[in-house]
Amino acid sequence: MYVELHSASAFSFLEGASVPEELVDTCVAAEMPAMALLDRDGVYGSPRFHLAAKKAGVKAHIGAEITFLPLRHRDTENVSSFKFQVSRGRLETRNVKRETCCIPLLAESRAGYQNLCRLITRMKMRGPKDAPPEVIAACEDDLREYAAGLICLTGGDDGPLAAALAEGGIDAARREVERLVSIFGRENVYVELQRHFLREEEARNQAAVEIARELRLPIVASNSVRYARAWQREILDAFTAIRHHRTLGTAGRLLARNSERYVKTPREMAHLFADLPEAIAETGQLSSRLEFTLADLGYEFPRYPVPEDETMMSFLRKRTEEGARERYGRADRHLRQRARRQIERELALIEKLDLAGYFLIVWDIVRFCREQGILVQGRGSAANSAVCYSLGITAVDPIQMELLFERFLSEERGEWPDIDLDLPSGEQRERAIQYVYQRYGKLGAAMTANVITYRGRSAAREIGKVLGFDPEMLDRLAKLVGSWEYRDPDETLERQFRDGGFDLTHPRLRKFLELALAVQDLPRHLGQHSGGMVVCQGQLDSVVPLEPATMPGRVVVQWDKEDCADMGIIKVDLLGLGMMAVLEDSIAMIHRDYGEEADLAHLPADDPAVYAALQKADTVGMFQVESRAQMSCLPRLRPKCFYDIVVEVAIIRPGPIVGQMVNPYLKRRQGREPVTYPHPSLEPVLARTLGVPLFQEQLLRMAMIAAGFTGGEAEELRRAFGFKRSELRMRDIEVKLRAGMERNGIAPKAQQQIVNSITSFALYGFPESHAASFALLAYASAWLKCHYLAAFTAALLNNQPMGFYHPSTIVKDAQRHGLKFKPADVARSKRLCTLEDVSSFTFHVSRKETADGAQRETRNVKRDFAVRLGLRYVKGLREEAARALVRERERRPFASIDELARRVPELRKSELAALAEVGALNSVSSFEFQVSSENEPANLKLETRNVKHHRRDALWQVEKAARPPGPLLEEIAEADAASPLPAMSDEERLVADFRGTGLTLGPHPMAYRRREMDALGVRPARELPGLPNGKRVRAAGCVIARQRPGTARGFVFLSLEDETGIANAIITPDLFEKNRLLLVGEQFLLVEGVLQNLDNVVSVKAERVMPLAITGAATRSHDFH
Amino acid sequence: MNATIYVPDFLVAAVVRLEPALREKAVAVLEGEPPVVTVAAMNEAAAEAGIEPGMTKLQAAAYPVELRQRSPAQEAAAHAVLLDCAQAFSPRVEDTAADTIVLDIAGLERLFGPPAKLAQDLARRASELGLEANVAVAANPDAAIHAARGFASVTIIPPGKQAERLGSLPVDVLQVAPEILQTLDRWGVRNLRALAALPEVAIVERLGQEGLRLQKLARGAVERPLVPAEPPLEFEETMELEHAVELLEPLAFVLGRLLEQLCARLGARALATNELRLMLDLDAAQIEDSPRDRVIGRSGHRVIDSAVNSMTRSPDAPMTRFIRLPLPMLDSRLFLKLLQLELRAHPPAAPVMKVTLSAEPVQPRPGQGGLFLPATPAPDRLELTLARLAGIVGKQKIGAAEVLDTHRPDAFQMKRFAPSAPQGLKPRRESGDREIGSSEHLKTDHLMTRSPDPAMYSTMALRRFRPPLAATVEVRDGEPVRIAAGEIRGEVASVSGPWRNSGEWWKSTETTPRIDTDDHGSNWARDEWDIAVPGTQGIALYRIYRDLASSAWFVEGTYD
Repeated sequence: MYVELHSASAFSFLEGASVPEELVDTCVAAEMPAMALLDRDGVYGSPRFHLAAKKAGVKAHIGAEITFLPLRHRDTENVSSFKFQVSRGRLETRNVKRETCCIPLLAESRAGYQNLCRLITRMKMRGPKDAPPEVIAACEDDLREYAAGLICLTGGDDGPLAAALAEGGIDAARREVERLVSIFGRENVYVELQRHFLREEEARNQAAVEIARELRLPIVASNSVRYARAWQREILDAFTAIRHHRTLGTAGRLLARNSERYVKTPREMAHLFADLPEAIAETGQLSSRLEFTLADLGYEFPRYPVPEDETMMSFLRKRTEEGARERYGRADRHLRQRARRQIERELALIEKLDLAGYFLIVWDIVRFCREQGILVQGRGSAANSAVCYSLGITAVDPIQMELLFERFLSEERGEWPDIDLDLPSGEQRERAIQYVYQRYGKLGAAMTANVITYRGRSAAREIGKVLGFDPEMLDRLAKLVGSWEYRDPDETLERQFRDGGFDLTHPRLRKFLELALAVQDLPRHLGQHSGGMVVCQGQLDSVVPLEPATMPGRVVVQWDKEDCADMGIIKVDLLGLGMMAVLEDSIAMIHRDYGEEADLAHLPADDPAVYAALQKADTVGMFQVESRAQMSCLPRLRPKCFYDIVVEVAIIRPGPIVGQMVNPYLKRRQGREPVTYPHPSLEPVLARTLGVPLFQEQLLRMAMIAAGFTGGEAEELRRAFGFKRSELRMRDIEVKLRAGMERNGIAPKAQQQIVNSITSFALYGFPESHAASFALLAYASAWLKCHYLAAFTAALLNNQPMGFYHPSTIVKDAQRHGLKFKPADVARSKRLCTLEDVSSFTFHVSRKETADGAQRETRNVKRDFAVRLGLRYVKGLREEAARALVRERERRPFASIDELARRVPELRKSELAALAEVGALNSVSSFEFQVSSENEPANLKLETRNVKHHRRDALWQVEKAARPPGPLLEEIAEADAASPLPAMSDEERLVADFRGTGLTLGPHPMAYRRREMDALGVRPARELPGLPNGKRVRAAGCVIARQRPGTARGFVFLSLEDETGIANAIITPDLFEKNRLLLVGEQFLLVEGVLQNLDNVVSVKAERVMPLAITGAATRSHDFH
Repeated sequence: MNATIYVPDFLVAAVVRLEPALREKAVAVLEGEPPVVTVAAMNEAAAEAGIEPGMTKLQAAAYPVELRQRSPAQEAAAHAVLLDCAQAFSPRVEDTAADTIVLDIAGLERLFGPPAKLAQDLARRASELGLEANVAVAANPDAAIHAARGFASVTIIPPGKQAERLGSLPVDVLQVAPEILQTLDRWGVRNLRALAALPEVAIVERLGQEGLRLQKLARGAVERPLVPAEPPLEFEETMELEHAVELLEPLAFVLGRLLEQLCARLGARALATNELRLMLDLDAAQIEDSPRDRVIGRSGHRVIDSAVNSMTRSPDAPMTRFIRLPLPMLDSRLFLKLLQLELRAHPPAAPVMKVTLSAEPVQPRPGQGGLFLPATPAPDRLELTLARLAGIVGKQKIGAAEVLDTHRPDAFQMKRFAPSAPQGLKPRRESGDREIGSSEHLKTDHLMTRSPDPAMYSTMALRRFRPPLAATVEVRDGEPVRIAAGEIRGEVASVSGPWRNSGEWWKSTETTPRIDTDDHGSNWARDEWDIAVPGTQGIALYRIYRDLASSAWFVEGTYD
């Protein structure tokens, strides 16, 4: 029996070429009963290896190759200096240039595994991320400290035996093996033999056998596997070149000598070691010694500290009850009772599963955020829990919405629940993360990793580089990869390459393509997940190794989010959500500028303005309901209550679209189709979505009712059909499902219908709870937009990029809603967009006599705000320069451009020019002017200035101000003078606006050309809804979005914006093919075709498209391809 | 007065000149090497068809345009034509740019008529020579240049009217630095009139002296002397022979005379040479009778010769040989020796009718090296020795062998041997610094040589057969059992292996030399065996290998 005990996967990052699953597959094909995975300085791939092996019925041994620094040949001075430096935490390695080797270690027991994790953690934490090996390498003392439970092999060509042999011959090698014996114990050291058909390796083997015999150590064969199949040596060679920053042509002998490090069958290995059968036999013996697998991880969730007289459960119960009183105190009795029952049920399950600590920890984070004024809201399946609702973790009432608790937590599933918290992106989220670190200690909490894999572009770029392509060609190749989301069936790679101008018959390009495809999805390096945190009772480093992240102060575990979940490690996702930041900023502005309070928790429930806007699809900027697809659905769905928004959020998802649920639902809603159910028993589940399943919970309930599944089984079903779907598991569960339905007497046709809806849904459907959480945010954003447009728009602009539209579209939309904008201005703008009170013209004062005869003045002010564009919108202006400018201005206003340039030396000439070009310097007045305007009202002064100065005056002045006048004239302040330059024309201003800020506050570019458009018979977007269905029309505008969704069979959707609104155009695949360049590249298009105006959904089905030369300004489109 | 000839889309014009059929067509010129060949320039028709600079060849091929590869030789020729054309009209000509020539036409009225006529003639002459050019006449060279670049066909600017006439031209005819152009664009200054109108002092304050210069150019007010193009320094001697010379001896006599002349001329200008070019016109009547290979030299050197000079491929062209020297020299006797060696190695294919010898002039090298530098062989003598050796073994087989950094056994290349450039005393490399390719890196290959116990792990030297001997090997159970390769034949007494090596898998089996210029060879894979074969003088050890691509067996060498 042969067991491969020394193999590395691609998780050795550029030192292995196969993913763990592939290794397991070949191991199964070779009929090996077990295999060990030893990645370099980590156990990154072990969860995937473990799971794949478990599924395949193979035993997965875990270990690692540890970078080791043999100190034996160093003089004592160097050794001590090295130690000194390490102990001081510095990374100076000038005096101690050292060569490392690597020791293969296998975990025999859980203690061994824990030691391995701690050893790796200690090594990794020695240096920053990506420190060179000699900095992080383990030294002998490290090994001695963590040797227990570990088995040591003497390694291959980079092992300690080979290194000693090379340096000092067989005596040194013998001494080295003796040293290993003294560290790990006689019974735990195996002399490793490898045979890759290399002369020098065989010489080494002879020495190794001799040493083993002398020291009476067992010999063990291995193949030091680096890839599953022989051809993958090419990938490994490419990786080697990448690792050494060379091309394949210049990597020379760094590359492999041959392709022998693949997974060999026991027969092949037995043949290779025919002269040493004991080396093969020993692998089986050793394998049977290795008891540890990842099933025996020993992870323990942290205990939440509670007062002495409390248990965690009693403490949780109290907190839940407090919360429930607040949440349900005013509810009707029926609801209250249902809530109480549900809470009891949940608490009982929580107690049974011993999860009180987890809920308390999440509650604690939420409490911290509340105290700090950070908006926080639970999302995902946690919203199904009444306990979470009561604890304030989520904001959706699961009782009232009849959400399914089992989707969140069930006894059968045997895994931790998943609570995701949405926080405002940026600093606020960082504060919450730091709080968790601080609370659970450095070794108690860490971020989950995010394994960065080779994807289209990165693969193309790096493979191209190692093949020696020049940068220009790399750019072209990288651009070629990953174009539109949708691909025609006949859109082969050859064709893509041909379209991109490349000839695939060229041998090197063919090799490029072959390799670029082969490295897809192979791990490249470890990143940090944006918000996933794992916490542990005490020593997280004994569960999984920790390592430093790029961000200072951050620590990541070696496993990604999925791996942590698979290994049963509990995690809390602290996700940054742009819209949360928008809401938070809006509320702050409403408080600061309007002097009013907006409380998201107590928004008016059925605000007519919100529903009116939603029904009209007037939703630019609103959360989740602003996309083109949403906009075309809204007028048909016509939301009237909150639940309709929940449906709206969930319905435009691939699940319902692929499952063809959208149209039946909308038709039934409009009364054009009768409401039917696959089976009468499903009516209670499907009634509220009119017989059409739209949410994941519904499919769970369907399985429970139709097939008699328990809640846990139903969730198991969802997971079987979910992201990590496997054929086998799906088939098993489908059989079970059909059997259950058979028992319940459901007809075969209905059975099929149910199975279909379940399969299409599990993958892409939204859970209802999640949709409800998102719907709350959607409602809040809509409410803010309807009532505090200025604050909402400013906040939206300050948190870009986010959402579906470019800032220019957001601005134009807000302008159409009557919002005034003011341009960026160095005399007024802050870095971010701010509100300016422009209500002084419109307030009314009325006096009333009160009962005691006193006159009371009531100001009936109609508050009106304009948005002042922030300096962050001036392209090319660095953040620090903008901050310095604002800081300096707050000290004293600037009298001239010259003064501005002198007082803010951080401003570079290019930045001054950028400011001038967008008109931000127009109001910096000349000396004479300031004197004459001293006592005038602020607004009047502004007007006058705008007349006096134009952008070219400023540009003229900037050019002078930016040139150092020399020491003699340095101190002499100079007033701005008028320039001989002409003012910008409309077109020039547009170009400058788009170039300088990416948007214009002036008229829409189409507005300048309306007369010509009229002559061409082009209808403004606003008029289209008023025209009858089927009419031939022409529409034109600036392309603000292009979409080619995978679900739309090659159709392309264009959004064309003009000064009156947004028109939609549908391009058929044929038309797209004929006009590909035009449709992909042109900024302004004229579309001619038949108007489709059904159910207030308006679009032009294009038959002809033409480019329009409207402006030279660089408008931008959001292209989803 | 000055006239300027300017050829728009010069790269295209250079191509069209030789293919008049393209004149009315859309043409784009490509540059670069496969797989990336992009559009470098195109004419107006091609631009209208949608061609843009930077498109790849495949993309451009989708448009109805004629595509041609850019040719520096054609461009040089077109430029020479332009220069000739100008020089036919005026003795004072400025070679401003590849596509622009300025003529001083002051005082030429009597010869060629008024400026307008001269300009017309100039344009017509250029057109006759295949180049459609714009011609402009103005009071100063720059105004004429800008007018020619900006206005199509013939433009005459009367003195004093420069500012007025140039005013409508875009600013970029001035060839302004990009940052200034950007500033002017921001200012809305798009044409020369606007630039000319700006106040002078303010311009200097903002754009410095360069701004002022540009403004003067815009006003057509820059007076500068023409920089007349100097005829190139040419060192060439030719001798037509009354009787065709067949033997090398009399030819050497002729060459010696020519070389003495050349060296004397070079010496008079304190110059030396690093390249000699010998052109022999052969008796055409006799060439046709002789095999083609002889014209080129010996058949074995054909490829190398063609790499040296593609002209030698044509049997009609005179025979041309180059002598390239590592250092500038001026020694006619040495040169004669080198030429004799060269001709002995590559004798002319037919009697010689005419001898042309030219030398590339360069500055001579300094006479003395550093005082503490090690003595190197005198470069002239070294060169002579190398040339002699090359004459015997062939050019590609002489030089310094350089081991290549690859696993491919016995891979090396020959580098031209040249004494290293004088260097100061360099500190010794610290022992810790290790480089790939340094001897230390080879450590693992010679693992056992460092063993303290040489008796146990003795190293055996391999004597390589270069080239390896082809062998017939009988294989049983995957192992060689019998071998026959010339004198090496017999049963294999014992065997060890296979030792498996492969590499350069990213190269195709047939390399395309255009792309893989930096590469050596193609992909390879082989299994090596060490075998013991009993012979007449006891057992001999051999290294044999099987080339896995061809399945052929070879004996690579024998172990001592």
